[in-house]
Amino acid sequence: MYFHHLLLLIIQKFHGERSSTAPFYLLKGKKSGQTIQDVTYFKLHPFFSLYPKLSLDQYNVEILTLVNKGFIEENGSVINLTEKGLMQIKTMKDPQFNGWLYRGNEHVFWSRMELVIQTLSHFQANVHRYVPNQKNQDIHQFVKGYLYSRDYKNVAFYSNFRQQLLQLLENTKFENIHREIFVYRLSGYGKSGLTWEQLARHYNLSLFDIKMLFIESLHIALPIINEEKFPDLLPLVKDVEVQTPLTESAMKTYQLIQKGHNLQEIAAMRFLKFNTIEDHIIEIVSANQYFPFFSYISNEQVEKVLRISNSLQTKKLKIIREQAPELSFFQIRIALAKGEEANG
Amino acid sequence: MDKLSEILQQKFGHTSFREGQKEIIEQVIAGKDVVAILPTGMGKSLLYQLPAYFMKGAVVIVSPLLSLMQDQVEQLKMFGEKRVVAINSFLTYEQKEMVMSNLAMYKFIFTSPEMLQNKRFNCALSSISIAYIVADEAHCISQWGYDFRPDYLRISNWLDAFPEANVLALTATATQKVVDDIKGTLHMSNPFEFIHSLDRPTIAYEVQKADSQKEKEAWIMGRITTTNGPGILYTQSRKKAEYYAYELEKKGVKVAFYHAKLEQEDRVLVQQQFQQGDLDWICATNAFGMGIHKDNIRQIIHDHIPTSIASYMQEVGRAARDGKQSIASLIYTNSDVEQAFYVAMKDFPDETDIHAAFQSEEYQILLPETTFRILSYWKEILSEQETIALFHDIKKRKWLEIQKLFTLFQSELCIREQILNTFDEQLTTKPKNCCFNCSLDLQQLLTKREYQNLENIELNWFNRINELLRP
Repeated sequence: MYFHHLLLLIIQKFHGERSSTAPFYLLKGKKSGQTIQDVTYFKLHPFFSLYPKLSLDQYNVEILTLVNKGFIEENGSVINLTEKGLMQIKTMKDPQFNGWLYRGNEHVFWSRMELVIQTLSHFQANVHRYVPNQKNQDIHQFVKGYLYSRDYKNVAFYSNFRQQLLQLLENTKFENIHREIFVYRLSGYGKSGLTWEQLARHYNLSLFDIKMLFIESLHIALPIINEEKFPDLLPLVKDVEVQTPLTESAMKTYQLIQKGHNLQEIAAMRFLKFNTIEDHIIEIVSANQYFPFFSYISNEQVEKVLRISNSLQTKKLKIIREQAPELSFFQIRIALAKGEEANG
Repeated sequence: MDKLSEILQQKFGHTSFREGQKEIIEQVIAGKDVVAILPTGMGKSLLYQLPAYFMKGAVVIVSPLLSLMQDQVEQLKMFGEKRVVAINSFLTYEQKEMVMSNLAMYKFIFTSPEMLQNKRFNCALSSISIAYIVADEAHCISQWGYDFRPDYLRISNWLDAFPEANVLALTATATQKVVDDIKGTLHMSNPFEFIHSLDRPTIAYEVQKADSQKEKEAWIMGRITTTNGPGILYTQSRKKAEYYAYELEKKGVKVAFYHAKLEQEDRVLVQQQFQQGDLDWICATNAFGMGIHKDNIRQIIHDHIPTSIASYMQEVGRAARDGKQSIASLIYTNSDVEQAFYVAMKDFPDETDIHAAFQSEEYQILLPETTFRILSYWKEILSEQETIALFHDIKKRKWLEIQKLFTLFQSELCIREQILNTFDEQLTTKPKNCCFNCSLDLQQLLTKREYQNLENIELNWFNRINELLRP
């Protein structure tokens, strides 16, 4: 249910201007110009990269279910929400994701949290040898450093940590199901966490629902830890937020622009297609509102594009260009990206 | 107490050695080459772990199965040994560099056959002192072994760089032919050989024939819902494993499924739950087994004819690690033998694949990685026609092996004796509960299961935190 509702919400946001695979690439967090530009155009930041492991086959099954239930319909190459679909999500609460900021890194936070709790649970029971559930050596190193620096055998630390964890989970931004999934995925001395399958059966929800709720619980927890500055939880969120929202490749292009190279030169230097470099520019414009775009399009031209887009209620490049044939698709894309920024 | 027993207790928490362990360990410490064959669950790891504490330098363990390597590293760490490292493709470049420049810090160095041709690694190895070298799962060296890994053959040349170090070869099952191959590849001139009986007297064998799949299913459901585990139901497909778990759960059995498609984290959780007794049964494909350290498994059920007798032995061998009476049951229908052959052949290249492989360097075939490597290996040595002939021959032998296994299960002779004979071994004493064809007191073997009502347990996050982190 929850996953289906999220899909409906995303499809609604795409406004009938994208095909049925667009939400898939969004959830996967595909780092292509199209997907990244769509994030800005349609304000899809919360949903970016929520489910990197999603497979197209799995996704198509879910889409088909929604079609069969009459919640969505495919019109030619685009996908639309139906009246019935709209009714479904009318009463839905705003999801609390921030995929754009975390991009899958919430798992790093989770792994650290899990290992810390598994360790403390065993030490409390006086068991000093156990097999960690987390297999990643980097996580081991991190948690080791964390525990040593905090005098982890000290009773005071233990009870502080426990208290802060409880306080975190008591926050009213969580619903009970978030808290339960979060806590029952943890393992400790003599207690193992529940599998996705077991949780899904318990709530009579799908695996997708449970995984989305789990990710949401992490996306709720992370900003709370940052805001409340829980002293013993704060180190666990270190470097989880993406520092620069740019993809690595766009970052390189950005640096070359700052050194004064033009787009043709950059494409040649990096052995990339010119189109790709253009995609990078769109990404950079979307991420950085102060980026000087005047060498590609003038302020007046931006305004013209936005006027057209507004009056025709569309973001389709082809339609806009019919009204402004003097502009290139690239220029229109920049303008649309700037437009979203101004609104947002 | 002698020094060996002292370390045994101090480091590993055992009070006594099992059969053969002490002799083998003494030979390793004396610097002899050793070939040791011990069935699953008979304490193989101790053989290379313990001598390390009596010798200077590091132990290098070559292990072809990555998941096994991970498991052994964890096991050593559990014993409090921190100087352990696994160098394989799981490590990132930075991690590898880190480890290589500090190689002298480690006492146990695990590595995969693929790493043996890594110059940086070999260079680092040559600068440290090596106590001895272990070839784990040594049957994979032999092309006659059921798990042939061509990369493992590289160990032969690689060993030349360490003439001082003695070699310990370990495996659970090997015929004489395989043992000869192992000795040859590892340049062993006069090794100490220890061959433990493959027999596990506390595992009784039961074989049932069903006339239809439906009857088979009813039998399995009946057995699991009326008798006690803990147990493993081995199925041939992921779908079947999920299906049985689902059906059994409906009948109130504490059960989960396990197969290769399960996420890594969930695999760990299922293993843990089984180990802790939260689950009584696991419905699994052959992916389940590595890393299960559960002593009290009472039942193993197969709903199919396995594709090799060695893998059957390995799966059955997971029962009765505590030495208490257990039972291995197999139920089949006549059509299962074809199914077994089909499954075994699925991963084999056919003539078209082989032809394609010889036509171009970058051929695309839909075969598993291991098969691909085997094919690439033979491509270097044989002509196309010879390779086709070879695989034809391997196929034929596989078919015969499955047929033989099928005949064995159908026959009225002692199952235990027949299995041992397959490995050139004679049965000396029959246990009281031997097999379905000899004597088997099922009443005594299988205890009646009390019906448990699995009510939907309430999840309470606050209580759970208090269980995990007691106030």
